[in-house]
Amino acid sequence: MLNDKQLDAIKEVANIGTGNAATALSGLLSSMIHMDVPETELVSIYELAEHYGDPLQTVGAVFVRSTGGFQCSLIFIQPEDDAGLMVELLLKQQFGTYIPINEVPQDLTDSALAEVGNIVLSSFLNSINMLLGTQHQISVPGVAHDMLSSVLDVVASIYGQMGETALMVNTELKVDGLSEGKKISGHIIMIPDPDSLGLLLRKLKVI
Amino acid sequence: MAENSIVLGMADLMVVNAPVKLVTLGLGSCIGLVVYDTFAKIAGMAHIMLPDSRGLHGSEKVGKFADTAVPAIIEEMLRKGASRPRIKAKIAGGAQMFSLPGASPEFLTVGAKNVNETRKRLQRLGIAIIASDTGGNKGRTIEFSTSNWMLKVKTLGKGISEI
Repeated sequence: MLNDKQLDAIKEVANIGTGNAATALSGLLSSMIHMDVPETELVSIYELAEHYGDPLQTVGAVFVRSTGGFQCSLIFIQPEDDAGLMVELLLKQQFGTYIPINEVPQDLTDSALAEVGNIVLSSFLNSINMLLGTQHQISVPGVAHDMLSSVLDVVASIYGQMGETALMVNTELKVDGLSEGKKISGHIIMIPDPDSLGLLLRKLKVI
Repeated sequence: MAENSIVLGMADLMVVNAPVKLVTLGLGSCIGLVVYDTFAKIAGMAHIMLPDSRGLHGSEKVGKFADTAVPAIIEEMLRKGASRPRIKAKIAGGAQMFSLPGASPEFLTVGAKNVNETRKRLQRLGIAIIASDTGGNKGRTIEFSTSNWMLKVKTLGKGISEI
């Protein structure tokens, strides 16, 4: 079980990772990105979805697996509408003109969403690996559109193999400067493998 | 008689008398297992998360693992007055939420392992699986009603089916 000092240290690392992710996303979308201070908390695996919102809410999520010196799984998760707006914004950047998302085939919008997730998550990871002095390889991203509860089953099943508590490193990014009434937010969730968590805590000198 | 709805959370396991509606929301790789005896008018549901409890310490919820949930729910059915040859089962869930091209980590395929282990454990106890809706890559919300002993399965983008 992790103590408060360790959770704080992980939070600081997540803060650096999120800063890097926000910078990368800002460059991709040519928009200002606002970031929240990350949360690191221990959550019961039986109540993950309730902890983060409405279990039945539809979300768009991008999953990647990172291997190498610091092994972990990462998910970039957004309310479905926010994911749609994010893709529209990206397509507008790429094509120079506004394209309503429902006029674009889903495989194209999914690959745009995967690209956003990939850039956010790999920038997050880059700064952690730089801090640790480790090398990493990141998998091709996987995309899902589904109920929050179903998506978080992935997290529950990873931690469920080890016990009943999940270490949730969770941080929120928001795109600024949208027209009134619109918002885009997204959460980064990091799930370090047990060995990698040990490595991180040793490096931070909190173990 | 009106049916009360009972919503089961992760790793919950419950056996109750009819009339009742048993509900589980947003199953991803998890399994919703339903067992029932229409003569004794008893039904049970379990929200199973993982295939097997081996290597883990004892104090956890029995509903969490297929290898502990299946014997526990059948035992509870019998204790409440069900007869083993009359008990039937239906299962839903076990999706793979994310697929990565190339080598996927093992935990992403836990849904299929949950389905296999649940089936194997039911077969070992001689319980017939009457219907199932498992696998794929979409989450499911399920509702079992003792008014018709049907399991309603809602899948995002695919609508509702009854099995």
